[in-house]
Amino acid sequence: MTTTEHGGDRDRRLSPADVQNVMFSRGAFRRGYDDHEVDSFLDRVEYELTRLIAEKAELRDHVQALEQQIATDGSTPAQPPTAQAVRILSAAQQTADQYVADAESYSRRLASEAREQYEQIVEQAREQADALLQHTRQQAANGAVGPVGAIAGDARTTEELQAQVVYLQAFAQACRTQLRSYLEALLTDVEAEWGRADPNALPPSRANGRPTRLSGAHPADDVVDLRR
Amino acid sequence: MDIAAMRASFSKAAEAGDEAPLYFYSHLFLSHPETRGMFPVSMAHQRDRLFTALGEVMARVDDLDALVPILQQLGRDHRKFGTLAAHYPAVGASLLATLEHFDDTWNAELAADWTAAYQLIAKVMVEAADAASDQPPWWDAKVLTHELRGIDTAVLQVQPQVVLPFKAGQSVSVETERRPRLWRYYSIANAPRPDNILELHVQAQDGGPVSSALVRHVSAGDVLRLGSPVGQLTLDPDSRRDLLLVAGGTGLAPLKALVDQVARQGPPRRVDLFVGARTEDRLYDLRDLRRLEQELPWLTVTPAVSDDPRSSLERGDVSEVCLRHGPWTNRDVFVAGSRQTVRDTVARLTALGTPAESIRTEVFAPSRPGPTLEGEVTS
Repeated sequence: MTTTEHGGDRDRRLSPADVQNVMFSRGAFRRGYDDHEVDSFLDRVEYELTRLIAEKAELRDHVQALEQQIATDGSTPAQPPTAQAVRILSAAQQTADQYVADAESYSRRLASEAREQYEQIVEQAREQADALLQHTRQQAANGAVGPVGAIAGDARTTEELQAQVVYLQAFAQACRTQLRSYLEALLTDVEAEWGRADPNALPPSRANGRPTRLSGAHPADDVVDLRR
Repeated sequence: MDIAAMRASFSKAAEAGDEAPLYFYSHLFLSHPETRGMFPVSMAHQRDRLFTALGEVMARVDDLDALVPILQQLGRDHRKFGTLAAHYPAVGASLLATLEHFDDTWNAELAADWTAAYQLIAKVMVEAADAASDQPPWWDAKVLTHELRGIDTAVLQVQPQVVLPFKAGQSVSVETERRPRLWRYYSIANAPRPDNILELHVQAQDGGPVSSALVRHVSAGDVLRLGSPVGQLTLDPDSRRDLLLVAGGTGLAPLKALVDQVARQGPPRRVDLFVGARTEDRLYDLRDLRRLEQELPWLTVTPAVSDDPRSSLERGDVSEVCLRHGPWTNRDVFVAGSRQTVRDTVARLTALGTPAESIRTEVFAPSRPGPTLEGEVTS
């Protein structure tokens, strides 16, 4: 049987309509298949194809429904996993966990040891630097070295003198501040005691005539004001 | 629903220790292999967390008012793991199979009760996740700068591609593709900015997979995944009181964010920030803090070192140093740092008259895998 319409079109699916519309070429002397047989066979093919297509659609719907059911209600897998399967997977998971834990603990130890070493090395380097500096200064001070050392010694002396000047200045400043606050506290005390003993005895002009009063505002002024 | 019987059956599974969650996950992965990809390679920590979380849910199952917000938060947060509504029944089936496996007296009533309870839990979580669907499940954020400060601390600037709304002082969970499926919480060190850039402070923990990767492997151009922000270490909008901020280590990050918020939005107030570390080298952000102190007249920064004889900074534990500058009875107080720093600071402050209710704290534990059921970031 040859089909004039579909011979070169193998990819196209055969539909019942194709079967129905198919034209068979006839032999010149009416040789070939019996027309009636061919027709009845084609009827059966048509019927069969229709049935298959319907069945396929039905199955597709069924698959979709099942997929949807699994998606919305995961409690319907075909078979719950067996206890053996669960055991095997659990053992595998535990092995994997152990490997990861080992790797993490190794990396933890390595990192903490590295940090300790780093800190030790930095500390040692600092100590060495300090010691070296100390040593150089001492040598220079002793004048035990040659001309280069002498220059270094001079530099050090200048440096040292400058440092001493700065120190002394700071010390003087600190003394002054301390002394000032001490004196002012003393004055406040004296005034408070005086006022308490005899409020009227405080001369109104006393604040102006205070000989030891140092410049700058002081909380003691408030005390005096309150009493006036 | 017979809650007592359910608790009894749950405790039987819980008593089996690691066996029960091990069974649960194996059952889940065998019946639904597609869920395996949502979990990290090593399940060891995950197993602890599952039954801890379930236990906390079980403890509150008769107090729905307390339970529902927790479940809603869990449901929203699970979106970042790629959890879909379709996964909930799968988890429920495996949970039931696990409980049955470890309970000799399992019966149909228990199964029915557990099914009903689980369906309720799943419903609340799924609904919360759906309600949050206007926000992305996670934010992809590009690393703009990655700066190593010292040997094990990094300061990163990252820029989410979509605006990530948060409050100053909150944290986000972070995942890097170098350590897939491992999420860790990090505080954002700035208030929301118009350019949407976030600053993160990361200290590499020895053997910590995520923190080490963030400090030593991640570089500019990489993309991190950020989860939705959480945390209560935020300014009280109704308070105008001055602030006392006490930070240990990278606990500085959320407190720096609070400074940033006062600078951006006010109200004007005095802010005293104490930041402590073991050595001066470990005060990784001191230069930026000094710059802020120059720019912001209301800010005083006091760094402290606890074990650095060479340093000219104040000596002592940060809680101790902060007390030296007290009293702090009239401040809103925020403390972030190691468990010990937080505990000592709170104890010392309350002993000297700071009311406990004006102190907010956050513990920076070495591994911060996620918020507890209360929504706290601390572990």
